[in-house]
Amino acid sequence: MRFNFFLSEALSSLRRNWVMTVAAVLTVFISMAILGLVLVIDRNLNQGATSLKNRVMIEVFLKDSATPEQVAALKSRIESMPEVKGAPTYVSKDEALAEFKQRLGANAASILQNLSTNPLPASFRIYVKNPNEVDRVAARFFNDPIVDNTPGTHDGVRYAQQTVRRMLGTIDLVEKGMWVATIIFSAAAILLISTTVRLSIFARRREIEIMRLVGATNWFIRWPFVVEGFITGLTGSIVAAVGVFVVNWTVYNWIHNSSVNFLGIKVYPVWIQSGQWPLGLLPTLALLGAVLGALGSLVAMRRYLRA
Amino acid sequence: MITFENVSKVYDGGVVGLQNVSMHIGKGEFAFLVGPSGSGKSTLIRLILKELEPTDGRILVAGRNLNTLRRSKIPLLRRNIGCVFQDFKLLPDKTVFENVAYALEVVGEPRRSIRRKVPEILNLVGLGDKMNSLPSEISGGEQQRVSVARAFVNHPPLLLADEPTGNIDPDTSVGIMQLLLRINRTGTTILCATHDREMVDRMRKRVLALDSGRLVRDERRGVYDSEV
Repeated sequence: MRFNFFLSEALSSLRRNWVMTVAAVLTVFISMAILGLVLVIDRNLNQGATSLKNRVMIEVFLKDSATPEQVAALKSRIESMPEVKGAPTYVSKDEALAEFKQRLGANAASILQNLSTNPLPASFRIYVKNPNEVDRVAARFFNDPIVDNTPGTHDGVRYAQQTVRRMLGTIDLVEKGMWVATIIFSAAAILLISTTVRLSIFARRREIEIMRLVGATNWFIRWPFVVEGFITGLTGSIVAAVGVFVVNWTVYNWIHNSSVNFLGIKVYPVWIQSGQWPLGLLPTLALLGAVLGALGSLVAMRRYLRA
Repeated sequence: MITFENVSKVYDGGVVGLQNVSMHIGKGEFAFLVGPSGSGKSTLIRLILKELEPTDGRILVAGRNLNTLRRSKIPLLRRNIGCVFQDFKLLPDKTVFENVAYALEVVGEPRRSIRRKVPEILNLVGLGDKMNSLPSEISGGEQQRVSVARAFVNHPPLLLADEPTGNIDPDTSVGIMQLLLRINRTGTTILCATHDREMVDRMRKRVLALDSGRLVRDERRGVYDSEV
């Protein structure tokens, strides 16, 4: 109703109590920055984990002697497996050779010219829905008659057995850790902000008492404080969000420009394209801070507004 | 204007604030409330403002039964009661003008009328030239006059004063009392709790005397101490 009055009351009180204002903004900034960093790291690790999990692939090499019927039968068997994600990719001998050429690049022509026959086997590439099931799925091809196993081994079926297992263990641990961290830091942020707000309202309890004596309704007293908390929270968390954004961007650039390897995979695709998610994080953090500030004021005022 | 019927107030912990007090103050009256510290003067004032609930008895203020008044209506009650306190209770961060204006903002007075009424009342209490000062920049007597201006700017039917001259020197006190008297002449009922013997004796107004929470005397044109 009298929004202008409440806004100007809030602004002038922020100016007059500027020490408290700075303290509150800093508190919001620090707690939101920490929370924001935890969220960004969590998000990046999740992205990384997902991208790593999606790379878990089983390659099944086929004997040259396999007939098209046998290949088709194997394909439909694979498709009927519930653990398999999507249709398996069939790579024919020619496609395998073409891929090989591409990987060799400029030297390919001279090397491959001398080959009279194509030595590369055809294969199926299979992705599983859940990386935990990769062992089970792979084992089904160990004794298949058309799979190109060297007698006594399973070398016709290839997948990153050890790597997958170690990776899954790490990812699981990291994900649990980040959950705990997110909860702890959210709680810390809420506590810190509410303590600061409570302090600043305690310092002004006399003011509230006087407002009540001249007949101000509780909401008339509350609004300026709520607007004040909102502005404080918004300011602190916008600064925090920008800070988190810059940090994420810097780390992304740093990793992108170095050739850090993690379990044989370049890390940089793990970090989201510069700031994509942090752009979404910005308003989230800002709004969260503003709401925390406003709610903090409301809660902290309760004891002074009881009749 | 104010009616107490067998009102008692016992605080948590057993301290007795008021014991079985019955009295009536009519519209337009000027009454002093006297008695030693701890006799229940402040308790009585706070009961009228519904800052406290009576343990027993019935209280009527400005036609409202405080016993059944809903909590959400308390602000409406207080807008009909101007208040002046010993410690002035001014908002320290607001100027003299803003302090008085606040009482009008609260009731939703339009800005234009605030800009007209506040200087009017400040001129009346003799502070027209101090409108933009902060409370800390003016003397105690001047602060109390601001507080009186704030209490009266709404022209409430009732004005309560709790030791209004308790913190200021005798000469200035006279000015404050004259101000209250002038306000009383406009038809506003005034109840003034005080320790100021000289003032009470000079004004010869109605005197209600409290002792240990009991109403021990009620005289029409009374003095501070019993004449008997």
